[in-house]
Amino acid sequence: MAERPDTPKTAASRYGLLFVISLYCIMPFVWLLTAAFDPGAGLFLEVPAKVDLSNFFRVFQEEDGLLWLMNSLIVCGGATLLVLVLSGFGGYALSRTHAWWKRPFLYAIILVRVIPPTALIVPLYKVMLTCNLAIAGVVRSVVPPDYVRSVMRFVGFIDGYLGLILLLATMHLPLALWIMKTFFDSVSREYEEAAIMDGATFGQRLRRVLLPLAMPGLAASGLFAFIAAWGDFLFPLTFISSPELKMLPLGIYSAFLRDSQIDYGLLAAIAVIYTAPAIIAFALARRFLVQTFGGGLKG
Amino acid sequence: MSVSFTRREAWRNRFLILPSVLLLAAFVVYPAGFAVYTSLTNEALSGPAAMNPRFVGFANYAKLLTDQNFWRSLAITFWFVLFSAIIGQLVLGLLSAMLLNRRFALRPLVNAIILMPNAVPEVVAALMWASMLAAGEYGTLNNIVAWFGVDPQRWLTSFPLTMIIIVNIWRGIGFAMILMTSGLSSISDELYEAARMDGANTSQIFRRITLPLLVPTIFLYLLVSTVSTIAIFGLVFALTRGGPAGSTELVGIYIYNQSFNSYQLGYGSAVAVVVLVFSLLVGMLYVRALKVDV
Amino acid sequence: MSSITLTNIRKRFGALEVIKGVDISIADGEFAVFVGPSGCGKSTLLRMIAGLESISDGEFRLDGELMNDVSPDKRGLAMVFQSYALYPHMTVAENIGFSLDLKGVDKAEIKRRVGAVADKLQLGKLLDRKPQALSGGQRQRVAIGRAIIKEPKVILFDEPLSNLDAALRVQMRAELQELHRTTKSTIIYVTHDQVEAMTLADRIVVLSEGQVKQADHPIALYKQPDNLFVGQFIGSPKMNVFQARVEAVDDTSARIVTADGWTVALDSVKGLSAGETVQLGIRPEDLSLAEPSNADITVQAILSERLGMETYVSFQTKGEPAIARIAGDHRIGTGEQVPLKINRNACHLFDSTGRAIRRS
Repeated sequence: MAERPDTPKTAASRYGLLFVISLYCIMPFVWLLTAAFDPGAGLFLEVPAKVDLSNFFRVFQEEDGLLWLMNSLIVCGGATLLVLVLSGFGGYALSRTHAWWKRPFLYAIILVRVIPPTALIVPLYKVMLTCNLAIAGVVRSVVPPDYVRSVMRFVGFIDGYLGLILLLATMHLPLALWIMKTFFDSVSREYEEAAIMDGATFGQRLRRVLLPLAMPGLAASGLFAFIAAWGDFLFPLTFISSPELKMLPLGIYSAFLRDSQIDYGLLAAIAVIYTAPAIIAFALARRFLVQTFGGGLKG
Repeated sequence: MSVSFTRREAWRNRFLILPSVLLLAAFVVYPAGFAVYTSLTNEALSGPAAMNPRFVGFANYAKLLTDQNFWRSLAITFWFVLFSAIIGQLVLGLLSAMLLNRRFALRPLVNAIILMPNAVPEVVAALMWASMLAAGEYGTLNNIVAWFGVDPQRWLTSFPLTMIIIVNIWRGIGFAMILMTSGLSSISDELYEAARMDGANTSQIFRRITLPLLVPTIFLYLLVSTVSTIAIFGLVFALTRGGPAGSTELVGIYIYNQSFNSYQLGYGSAVAVVVLVFSLLVGMLYVRALKVDV
Repeated sequence: MSSITLTNIRKRFGALEVIKGVDISIADGEFAVFVGPSGCGKSTLLRMIAGLESISDGEFRLDGELMNDVSPDKRGLAMVFQSYALYPHMTVAENIGFSLDLKGVDKAEIKRRVGAVADKLQLGKLLDRKPQALSGGQRQRVAIGRAIIKEPKVILFDEPLSNLDAALRVQMRAELQELHRTTKSTIIYVTHDQVEAMTLADRIVVLSEGQVKQADHPIALYKQPDNLFVGQFIGSPKMNVFQARVEAVDDTSARIVTADGWTVALDSVKGLSAGETVQLGIRPEDLSLAEPSNADITVQAILSERLGMETYVSFQTKGEPAIARIAGDHRIGTGEQVPLKINRNACHLFDSTGRAIRRS
């Protein structure tokens, strides 16, 4: 709206309403931040008697905080990396092709985005189980029995990194493909043609011309994939059960469900550790949010 | 390029998209088809059917029609979507967008504050609200309402559905605000100036200029938020696990509980198929609304 | 030596034929301009020469060597694109030196050659800038630098001035002429702007609907168009055309009567017979203001546009409205009767199919 000075009454209601909305949005954070730095924190919001980092130390000393963090980073990092590669190549192909399958494929990836993951969870479990058995068969035939378990931890589909990485990457691939397709649509073909005239092979065009040009698009699709994978709760909940593969969201969830006295300071500290990367990624992704809306659904 | 080059390029494109197609086929398309198949069997993780699932035709669907719990979860989902996404997030998002449509010193800060809930992982959001809504006189919300002379409440026990709606509104204001801001910024200032020249007052400008021009943005937002709100699982599951007594059992949680707590895979799949079909219908509307040009 | 011959070149996209048998030869050092309305196939033809589009049929020879299936980078051509396609992530120097870098030329040599090209194009101070930090004209020069560093046999230009504003376009036209004069390289240049074509070309190839309508020196095209299309395409405002009939002929002249009843006697006309239908083409500049007493025709003005140094007068005819381009400033009101004189020597005659009837 055109900037017209507020009358005192309008100004009061404007800032008053904004204050109330902001309060609503920020209140829940107050407890989390207070509790994380309060060694004696409880479920209720209170002024801490003492403020220190002991909760954070305990996450890494008494609990397997480091393990959970590493597992989350491996799985989400792996999924993000996979999404970047697949969506980079796939988006390029989708943008440049005029083949008959282009339109049906684009429609399909929008429809895939609207399917609630919970609706797929049962058949997915069976697919993952089948894959896991197949992989286990292969692993057993090539690896000495003592090592099967530790190898399966990496390549297994149930209770293994590989399966979860593939699954999370697939779930967030449609949005990334869409972003990259739209992005490459805006990259003039003339850049590539100029490179062809300059004598660049496909490999050189990819590395020297397309990749640098695609960086903003890849940043957007990578950030969205990371945010979505990082925040996902359903898939780790369903497909991870062994403690050595536990990820941050499950660490929080199980610490919260503990029957004995819940250690809220510890819980809040884990939550802060888990939330920080998400907030940073979100802040970085913010400027892509609106452009992406056309094809993507909120994650 | 030469003819062979063009053909080579076509093959290269197919090759580049192939890995994505394979993954989507394996983890989305096939499971979706398999859900339909499973829903026609009496497959279960325990009991006699676990050993030897049988084809039961539409028996699961017939059972659905008479299952009170299923209807209850649909009703809960309906109210949840209606009040949190369609009304709460949209109204507060639009309101925030309009209030922030003016430069002032704290604007970036307020903007960030409103967006923050959107950035928080579901489980953390649930944890924060568990504290907010904690029962007893020291609960944060109880402290707040005490100023207005209201007695302490057991929020998640007495008003479970209302509470998860409030939590979900909290989480989605930012997203709605971003979209509404972009919708508002696409309305030319000259239109407002023209309307003022024609003698329209603030509320007339809102009703006659702003709202009609925002309709496409709002429509798109509603489609998006409907499907994504139906899909909500972690936020509510971590807070209430569908309880107490199924009063917050959204259809996604119902599917999960049926399949992994009651071990009725066939029946759970039938519910999943119903959700799947509904989501796809909304998705098709979405595709049409976007007028996807490729 | 780098001459180009296109023989019966065709391009099909599926069932659609967009280039329908084109024959062109361009001599070494010539500045050839492909011009035509949008959709005439001029860009496609250029891209076929570049190797960015396949040639469906016919032969493209460069210095007598068949090029149809040679890959773009092996043809020894360089191209300046419409958007310039300067790589945004590379500096000016990197952009210009990219093709040498791909070939594996060593760094010092690249630096030396980039420097030489930059000097020639006055880009010396801009070498470390990114393309975003350049003005339109500077970008244009970088694109040209990227082309000439390859020392190509032929430089191809695809509507290179269409993104520039009018003033800059005039300046860049002059720079392109200078470039052609100093490098003496063969240039093929595509544009839809006939003014650009007229000012730059040694030879204009007028294309329409995938066919060559005429290829000749610009002034020859202006003075002796082969057909009505070329007559109307070259020149602005475009040539007026009047439907007419041959009333009488003798050995060397003919009397033509237009649909409006104007009688024009043309000499040096051969091969016409009385009663034949013809089309009379008169360029707006060949109509001038006359005293009422010695006017050839008197017309009714619809609109006059005063430009200061000249005045365009649109007037009603039985067919489409016509325009006279009159020297000097005149105040002519709508509906006013305007006496005009026709420059008979510059009148063009076309038969009913639009083919020119030559006057000797």
